[in-house]
Amino acid sequence: MEFYRISDNRLGLREIPPLLAGLMRQIPGPFEQDGRAVEERLFPKPSQDPGEEGLREDWKAHVEPELHAFFLSARQVVEADLRGFKEEEGGFALDIPAGHAESWLNALNQARISLAAQHHLHEAELSQPGPMAILDERDLAKFQIHFYAALQQWLVETLDVS
Amino acid sequence: MAEVKEVPGSSTRDETALDQPWNVVVHNDPVNLMVYVTMVFRKVFGFSREKAESHMLEVHHKGRSIVWSGARERAELYVQQLHSHLLLATIERSGS
Repeated sequence: MEFYRISDNRLGLREIPPLLAGLMRQIPGPFEQDGRAVEERLFPKPSQDPGEEGLREDWKAHVEPELHAFFLSARQVVEADLRGFKEEEGGFALDIPAGHAESWLNALNQARISLAAQHHLHEAELSQPGPMAILDERDLAKFQIHFYAALQQWLVETLDVS
Repeated sequence: MAEVKEVPGSSTRDETALDQPWNVVVHNDPVNLMVYVTMVFRKVFGFSREKAESHMLEVHHKGRSIVWSGARERAELYVQQLHSHLLLATIERSGS
């Protein structure tokens, strides 16, 4: 699998193995977003002060709906880009408009956070290299989180030099 | 000249507390990448790379970093922006 810059306006991935192409198609979800652990992480409280209950209520009523809409919009951008997957010799290829990189970063983060919260993956597990063997859904989630991290790293570095 | 004694619980203390700025605090989490957190700090606060990396490392090693202090309304806006990038951020009264 190779990351490359097609032009100032377009980024590309080519020779994507079918397994990784399948994982990329899962970036927009659906992930379990209704579970309490996932929701608490995607929509954290703005204050830990017990005396700030009013702020937390206002936040839930006014800010969280905006964040829901923002996150959905990022996933929709990625979903539309993923429809451009092409099957080529040596794997799959995908072009991404450079202007969509922010949406990709956001959707990848949503996916990684949702997977980590859903499978109760902790810092010690996530700071280790990816699993050597995928034996269950938890291992697959860890692998997926690491793969999505590699995509994020590439996007950040690409944006950083542009 | 008469000595001025501090009266415990006087209003001076309360007024000082009201004038205290609010901090925007970013907390460590196991998922966000270090390069991503640095990028978000630069984008949201306009930090230099060095300053953004310094705050990112403080979050990573100490579990939290105060990234901005000032008026409450602006602090809330910054927290909202940080949440939109999926960073764990809260506001707290300075000195709390």
